[in-house]
Amino acid sequence: MTLTPMDVRDEAVELFDGRLRLHVKIAGDGPPLLYFHPLSGLAWNPLLSQLAARHTVYAPEHPGTSPGDPHAISEVQTFWELLLVYEELIRALGLDRPVAVGQSFGGMVAADLAASFPQLFGKLVLMSPPGLWRDDAPIPLMAMVAGPPEDMPKYLFAHPDSEAARAVMALPADPELIPKAIAQGAWNVGCTTKFAWPIADHGLGRRLHRIGVPTLIVWGREDALVPVAYAEEFGSRIAGSQVEVIDDCGHVHQADQPERTWTAISKFLDG
Amino acid sequence: MKVSLFEQVPYRYIPDDYGDHNSSVVTAPYQVVDPDRMHESIFSAYAELLHGVRSGFDGIVVTEHSQSSYDVSPNPTLLASAVACAAQAEGLDPAIAVLGRSLGKTREPLKIAEEYALLDCISGGRLIAGFPVGLSYDANLNASLPAIETRDRAREHRELILKAWTSPSPFPWNGRFEKYGAVNIWPRPIQQPHPPVWVPGTGSTGTLRDILRNDYAFVYLSWDGPKLVGRHVFDRYWTLAEEMGRDRNPYRLAFLQVVAVAETDERAEKEYASHLMSLYHSGLGAIPGTAMAVPGYAEPAAIEAMLRAGGPDGMLARMRTATYKDIVDSQVAIVGSPATVADQLEAFVREFRIGNLLVMMQNGSMPRALTEKNISLFTAEVLPRLRPIWDDEGWEHRWWPRATAPAAAPVRTEAEAR
Repeated sequence: MTLTPMDVRDEAVELFDGRLRLHVKIAGDGPPLLYFHPLSGLAWNPLLSQLAARHTVYAPEHPGTSPGDPHAISEVQTFWELLLVYEELIRALGLDRPVAVGQSFGGMVAADLAASFPQLFGKLVLMSPPGLWRDDAPIPLMAMVAGPPEDMPKYLFAHPDSEAARAVMALPADPELIPKAIAQGAWNVGCTTKFAWPIADHGLGRRLHRIGVPTLIVWGREDALVPVAYAEEFGSRIAGSQVEVIDDCGHVHQADQPERTWTAISKFLDG
Repeated sequence: MKVSLFEQVPYRYIPDDYGDHNSSVVTAPYQVVDPDRMHESIFSAYAELLHGVRSGFDGIVVTEHSQSSYDVSPNPTLLASAVACAAQAEGLDPAIAVLGRSLGKTREPLKIAEEYALLDCISGGRLIAGFPVGLSYDANLNASLPAIETRDRAREHRELILKAWTSPSPFPWNGRFEKYGAVNIWPRPIQQPHPPVWVPGTGSTGTLRDILRNDYAFVYLSWDGPKLVGRHVFDRYWTLAEEMGRDRNPYRLAFLQVVAVAETDERAEKEYASHLMSLYHSGLGAIPGTAMAVPGYAEPAAIEAMLRAGGPDGMLARMRTATYKDIVDSQVAIVGSPATVADQLEAFVREFRIGNLLVMMQNGSMPRALTEKNISLFTAEVLPRLRPIWDDEGWEHRWWPRATAPAAAPVRTEAEAR
């Protein structure tokens, strides 16, 4: 099943004593599932459509990344406040122990939510999240974000020239829309890296033991942004978790290896 | 008008092809440096500033950049302090402008309050306090602070520093970024209520409004020359000033200009061209565009407007490949005989109502002897034509230091004392 943008609705939820309106994209039908997007912001990708075929997917937009409301990011001053915003959101939406799927930056957010509020989620899927640090496996986040845009695909994809990878990086076909798209893209990264700069380590490693829900950790073996060494770092700290390393796959799993990624995730969600 | 000597501190022996492979900031490879030549490069900057003071400049101007090959000046108050002490020892009276310690970059804003206050005391009340936000690469890459917080951080730091200077008694500070239990710095500035504030910026409307609202001086440090950007920035500045009820006092404005003077136009090109081009090719031109705007540093509307206007203003984006002719024709550098230079400077100073001219006389690989010649010729033959430019309008210069202490008694050698 392929969802069109028509099938995705937008809901704005008032949070933080009315100071913040968080936009959530909602689609599909079934038990609730929250998707936390990566650094670049929310893009409705094929993985989300696959998830929406069996779940009601709630995909919140990180504060400040919703078009037309750039200064919402000012209301969230610390990473701890970001976690509180999402905890409030889940209560406001009335979701009972939803599944959480977090990708890259969103994976760090989901993991810390699960560690901070152990009763919040029913299941957890972490797709190559940053959040830990090893000196022998540095995460070149700053080099990627501040480097030339043409270098970005080499951090994200095992196959930067594939059609799927090019689709992820594509600018609008209409040249008139390109300046706005570039500006929004840069601002989105500014809003997310506020909580990941210069090193995305808020002490998560000291809290991961608190996660008690079934957890799947998915990693691409060729990940050039968050090295695969971190798959085991997460796996060994979360009791009973399952680690799936996908061969011939970079940081954006659903672009490099869509089928293997979906197989791993759907099997876990079935179990 | 006031004319001051602006000096950065480049390492002067950068290889010619450096910019083909290297950035001049953040990742600039230190392996190119010979330690003795670094000593000479840094000491020359100090010696040239002192030469400028002795030759009659009204003030000296220094800047802060970390992890950079084009301005090895991680803390400009060190250099400014050396010049201020030497000038006092000789009974000289220059303004000391630090433009400045970067407010969006510092993790210790009270150190800036203290260092500036100390400089004001050393110089007998001759400090100009520069309050820049700081460049993106410096604040967000070198100091590694989140880009999206740069401006808020700078605003809080400015407020804290001004309060630290003016509060009569110790106070607690519960800021968003800084918390202090009892702020009570020693010394405080000599100038009351505080030294004049100059704000360097690239001329965004938001920055200009903030400067005008607070009645600070605006310093346009562009390296783009007056032709490419002057009309765009200064016309908007004066229109805003009028809208906001500010007068047309030219001393509100300062402008940086690269200048090289020789006996004739031909000789100027022969002597200075290669050194000037080393600045543009290996220094400023080797700053990657992305390092000037880490995502979050600029608002989305500003980025969109910049892209719709066809990219960054002026010459900076093209400096890596600019030719000498491009640089001189666009007035990015004003080069020639004293008459040529004075004519060009006077024309744009009058046109844009600039009351403070900052001239940069050393560039890239330019050696000390040539720089000192540049300074001597400029002060002897160009400066006298510029100085009276605004006299007939009779404005008060409210952004110039109000030196309260006389220049200290000269320090004499033992032989002189006898």
